[in-house]
Amino acid sequence: MSININRPCGTFDRNYFQAKALYRTPLRKALLILLIIGMYLIAFFIGDYGISILTLICAFTIGMLGLQIITGYCGQISIGHAAFMGVGMYTVGILQKHFGLSFWACLPLAGFIPMFIGMVFGIPALRMKGLYLAFATLAAHFVIVYVISNWRSVTNGTDGMWMKRPGPLWGIDFQSDRNYYLLVLTITILMVYLATNLVRTKLGRSFVAVRDNDIAAKVMGINIAHTKIMAFGIGCFFAGIAGALGGAYYEYVNIEWFGLDDSIWYLGFLVVGGFGSIFGAIAGATVWKIMDEFSTLITPLAETFLGGAAFYASAAFSLIFYSLIIIIFLVFEPRGIAHRWEIIKRSYRLHPFPY
Amino acid sequence: MEELIKSIVLGICSGGIYALLAVSYVVIYKSTRVFPFSQAAVLIIGAYLMWYSLIVWHLPIWLGFLITCMGGAILGGIVERAFMRPLVGQPILAPIVVTLCLMLLLRGIGIIIGKGDIQGFGESFLPMGAWQIGFFHLPKIQVYGMALCSLLIAGLMFFYEKTNIGLGMRVVHEDHVVAQNLGINVKRIFQYSWAISCMVAVVAGMLLGNIQGVGLALDANGLIAIAAVLFGGLESFMGAIIAGLAIGILQMLTITYIAPLLPGETTMMIPFVFLLLILFIKPYGLFGLVRIERL
Amino acid sequence: MSEISRPILKKREQRYSYGLTLLRERIEEKRSFINPDAKAKNDRILLKAKGISLAFGKLQALDHVDVEVREGEILAIIGPNGAGKTCLLNVISGFYRAQKGEVYLEDKNITHLPSHKIAELGLCRTFQNIALYSGLSVIDNIIAGRHPHIRYNFIAGMVYFPWANREEAYQRAIAEDIIDFLELEQVRGSVVGTLAYGLRKRVELGRALALEPRILLLDEPMAGMNFDEKEDMVRFIIDINEFLRIPIVLIEHDMGVVMDIADRIIVLDFGNKIAEGPPEEIKENPKVISAYLGAE
Repeated sequence: MSININRPCGTFDRNYFQAKALYRTPLRKALLILLIIGMYLIAFFIGDYGISILTLICAFTIGMLGLQIITGYCGQISIGHAAFMGVGMYTVGILQKHFGLSFWACLPLAGFIPMFIGMVFGIPALRMKGLYLAFATLAAHFVIVYVISNWRSVTNGTDGMWMKRPGPLWGIDFQSDRNYYLLVLTITILMVYLATNLVRTKLGRSFVAVRDNDIAAKVMGINIAHTKIMAFGIGCFFAGIAGALGGAYYEYVNIEWFGLDDSIWYLGFLVVGGFGSIFGAIAGATVWKIMDEFSTLITPLAETFLGGAAFYASAAFSLIFYSLIIIIFLVFEPRGIAHRWEIIKRSYRLHPFPY
Repeated sequence: MEELIKSIVLGICSGGIYALLAVSYVVIYKSTRVFPFSQAAVLIIGAYLMWYSLIVWHLPIWLGFLITCMGGAILGGIVERAFMRPLVGQPILAPIVVTLCLMLLLRGIGIIIGKGDIQGFGESFLPMGAWQIGFFHLPKIQVYGMALCSLLIAGLMFFYEKTNIGLGMRVVHEDHVVAQNLGINVKRIFQYSWAISCMVAVVAGMLLGNIQGVGLALDANGLIAIAAVLFGGLESFMGAIIAGLAIGILQMLTITYIAPLLPGETTMMIPFVFLLLILFIKPYGLFGLVRIERL
Repeated sequence: MSEISRPILKKREQRYSYGLTLLRERIEEKRSFINPDAKAKNDRILLKAKGISLAFGKLQALDHVDVEVREGEILAIIGPNGAGKTCLLNVISGFYRAQKGEVYLEDKNITHLPSHKIAELGLCRTFQNIALYSGLSVIDNIIAGRHPHIRYNFIAGMVYFPWANREEAYQRAIAEDIIDFLELEQVRGSVVGTLAYGLRKRVELGRALALEPRILLLDEPMAGMNFDEKEDMVRFIIDINEFLRIPIVLIEHDMGVVMDIADRIIVLDFGNKIAEGPPEEIKENPKVISAYLGAE
């Protein structure tokens, strides 16, 4: 895992700016730019179905990045991430319904309000670590779901709320699925950029320090309370943005969409993607959403196999299928797809030699 | 005043099940240092097993009880062997994710075997009716359930204090590596812990199914019991029992006093608010150990 | 033979000319601000701990212990196992709270400051059982040690404004300086979890140095090392002491090393300070001998 191995042979760093560069060689920079351009262009070649999958992948990538910051980098286990995503969704819904704000005004608030709530629920983290925080976020999940489903005058209860997609900006209309995908993709790229820089600068290093050895971090000049609260705040900010974008895609919000199982899938697919890497978060979200589509495709099969109504068969199938996949990953590849990808890249670079 | 006494007595009765559940969490946590979120879903499996034995297969009650207990123990053993053992020694996150996923896995299995419907036992397997004592009447189901819970907990305590396996579990609780070096088969102890804990949980599941109806909603009780475990202090049986009773009382008080004021499922929400309060005020619970950190 | 030893010799000659220059500048800058005419090894008291008492339940870990650290000296704390040496260090660095007594750093009472504040003031330490950030690479560990001295805020870091970029490069330069000084070049990019024990101890020393210490507290820096590694470590400690003029508090069990490098020695036994003085006196002290060999 040495830095030097990540550079192709014959690349030398001549100053400290080069030494800390993420994309050092022109080839890698070109590949990155090509990938981004490809992600934009692909919207014009695939149908609505493909665009819907890609939009969801992008939205959940943002949410997964938030969880990666909280859990993967700062080591604080959160079992309430889907609920914070829901807070983001409902923030947009409520602001649009009751105050008539446009989506553009709602979007930052959809980040900041979950951020504030996340910080409040993160306060137990100041004194506790590990398991206790899982309890706190579990409780947060139930309290949030209770408030949303019972504050009928504001949130419309379990009936859900209608949301509006963003209005036109600079002459671009975002009502069509394709244009909306392009918007979500742009925001996703921005968020990935922010998260990548976050984890390699001051605050990101202190996150990892708190995760790896919080006692040492305390004595080595890192304010643990501040760091943990920041991790919670930033992670929930990401979750809220993801929720707002996902909700606006469906133009509808419902309490059913962020159950406890969604929070657990969040955590589980983070494992599948790989802890402690931005690529892992992207991979985890992608696998999750592709799996979603796969399980809806395969439901008719499960129906005939299990017999009876489709409703429970599909529910049971996806529960069993997902949890088995996550458990298998944890047992056989606990460092996830990201680690496997690193190994593949390295063996390609060193090709004729084994290591 | 009448209301208050009534809710406290009823609370203690229903709290017996929470105490039992909390004990089932504590058994595993004490020996393996893994918090078994999956116990919440084991409840569903237990309730369905009992339902199958009594209603579908028409077995006598004692045989149904025995089959359910055996089923729970076997389930626990399998879960430990298949899913938990490969994770021994991994950082705290991995076991938490696995137990959470197990919860959903068992829930999925519960959906398949139960066809997604809520089933009833028709006639309860415990005596129905109620005693009229003074100003309130006491449902017999609750009292017998409480008696069964106390019996089980007492049996478990006896097992833990007096038998060899119990001794092994106590040693493993102190330190895994030391126990291994002293010649105790730590993995075997883990397996026993899971088996015993799941056995206890299925009994709680069948009792709850008897009261609330056999269905997927039972796992909510398991999650509420987490509040009891935390209140009791994660590693203490005494704490778990007291806190289980306390949560039962809290829930009954909620039904009496808070539910009229607030809409929705307050019985589900109030224990979690309580859990948050504990985390803010006294995070290690009533009897939890505060470990001195060393450098 | 000469071909092998030459680069090493060269390195030793050069160290004073280029190694640690950036770090030294920063430390000197701070020192001149606080104490403009500090000479090496004067008698000014830098750190003073008075009447420290600490008990865990009935176990009296420390009983009215006084410690003074003077400018530029190497102070060794020795004592049998369980004498409370590490405990004393933990109290000084704010990890444990003393039940009685006070700690002053240059007339500033730091007894009740949170430990990250104490670290910022310049009390930096290493740990008995290595406590590195095992998921980070060596250089990132050292830059993570620079944490309190990095000036940009997290939003600048997230957006990666030019000043954040420059600051990062500057911090990396200091970290590379330290790596150079501690001869960790080959393992610079390795994740510390994969390193050998001796190297990890060295990385820990580097991380403590990165904090720009006023006083460096070393908790058994040479435990479990072989002779060569010990020799290296002693060389680093002496270099830090002489070149950066940082006073060092050292807990060590190896009497040979302690007697050689320490200017003063404090002996603890069962939480009591039983002797204090230069190595020659300590060697002759009957109390110390009885504590180590058992009293008649």
